[in-house]
Amino acid sequence: MTRVALIIAMTLALAACGGSGHAHGKPLVIVVNAPFTRTPYLGRTIENGVRLAVGEVNAAGLRVGGTSYELRVQTKDSALSPARAVSNVRSAADEHAVAVVDEGTGIDASWRVARGLPICIVFAGGARAVDPTTRPNVFRIAPTDHGVAFRLAEYLIPKHLRIALLHDDSDYGSAGASALAAAFSQNRSSVAVDETVPADALDLGPQVLRARRAHATALLVWGRPATIASAIAAARSSGWDVPVFAPPTGADPFVRQQLADHPSWVNGLTFAAGRLTAEVGPGPFTSFEQRYEGAYGVDRVGVKTRAGQEVVEPPETAMYAYDFVNLLAAALLKAGSVDPGKVTRALEEVTTEGANGDERAFNRSSHEGVVDDDVYFARFSDMTYAPVKDDPLSATLPTIDQTR
Amino acid sequence: MLAACELDDKDKEGLKKDCSAPPAALKSAPRLPGNFPRAQGIVYTAVRKDGPTTIASGYLAQTIGPAHDAYSHAVKGAPGYDVTKEEQDAADAEVNFAGGGNTGQVKLLQTCKARTSVTITIRPA
Repeated sequence: MTRVALIIAMTLALAACGGSGHAHGKPLVIVVNAPFTRTPYLGRTIENGVRLAVGEVNAAGLRVGGTSYELRVQTKDSALSPARAVSNVRSAADEHAVAVVDEGTGIDASWRVARGLPICIVFAGGARAVDPTTRPNVFRIAPTDHGVAFRLAEYLIPKHLRIALLHDDSDYGSAGASALAAAFSQNRSSVAVDETVPADALDLGPQVLRARRAHATALLVWGRPATIASAIAAARSSGWDVPVFAPPTGADPFVRQQLADHPSWVNGLTFAAGRLTAEVGPGPFTSFEQRYEGAYGVDRVGVKTRAGQEVVEPPETAMYAYDFVNLLAAALLKAGSVDPGKVTRALEEVTTEGANGDERAFNRSSHEGVVDDDVYFARFSDMTYAPVKDDPLSATLPTIDQTR
Repeated sequence: MLAACELDDKDKEGLKKDCSAPPAALKSAPRLPGNFPRAQGIVYTAVRKDGPTTIASGYLAQTIGPAHDAYSHAVKGAPGYDVTKEEQDAADAEVNFAGGGNTGQVKLLQTCKARTSVTITIRPA
């Protein structure tokens, strides 16, 4: 069966199971394991993406192996602590959850205690996190660190910049440091300085000064949003107008909130992220965004443009979480069972249409839902961002409205 | 929104267009990293390095369907190579791969009645 035919079959199967539009059935819990207290925006947007898809699946009805089920959502706060994240996954397995949608913290240990329960990472992109052979129950729908780091290297090295690589000592920053080391290994002459900085440091003045003294002509800061904001503040407050590049955390609302007193400092910040829209154009993503906003409201960044318009954040990570729940529902139908092992295997065989109109699927040789070539670059101006024009992929992408 | 729709329509317009003269072929076939496989009929027109990544350009004198099949078969038939994801739309297709110590993508776009442009991106894994 071709993929298109399979998508149609799965869509029809989900719709055919529909009844009155009201969920009835045996509860089936999806656990959202995310840092709700430490990075509230990220936790909330993952949860909302899951809840939106769960509502739609339940409205259509979910009948698996002759039993009607109702998907439910349970949140567990990882607080960015690997130990807590692992404990959350252990309890999810103990409580017979059907899957975990995970930010990624602690995955190196949590995949094992999941005892075969499928886990889908929707944020962290670390290289070793996903391996179909050694971690068959781990999937990911999010840009990989490999993809982000290599795309940044491809974009920056031909510009003949001398790049200061700053990465913080969080799990996210450490994984990024490894990816950057690989991406720049053949072009070390492009690296002015390579330094680890403390995560969430309020003042990165000394580190940024060292980068300047090393004659860097660009800063590439890989870390939590607070680290990126601190690096920008340190550079700009010292009068250094160096271009700053970042991974997807550069778009986190926290960066703009931290720099709200100096909006011009955000101008020019360029980040790499997964493309929001597919080849079919922005229609499907816009439709998803409208449904998301209808259910949960807009994700306000907490800053305004010069013209006084409220800035909102498009639901990118929510889209990944939403897509996984739809793949999970298709896998449950395919497996005809809620057994974790059977569902995990079925996840390698189903394809659904993602929220942006692109296909979402895993297979036996790849548990990655976002390919490296779908990483694009966007640059901030007036607290909102637009795809850059000097990268072949980015230049073809539309700007998503970020004001209300 | 309009711009992207126009781009999509423009891509599809290529399916009906007569082909102009093809770009000049490289004098000799390049040796790509990881012995990346050649699809039957591929004509290489350029190879460049963007930092760590090798990007080869060329074309196949075929429509998008056979061109996609040619690359899908070439990658699947190459020792040590896997297709990690592939997708085909009306005018374009992608074959994502892993193998030979690399990962990457073959991007195919039918630009006229009987020619499909090929862009191969090869990154160290």
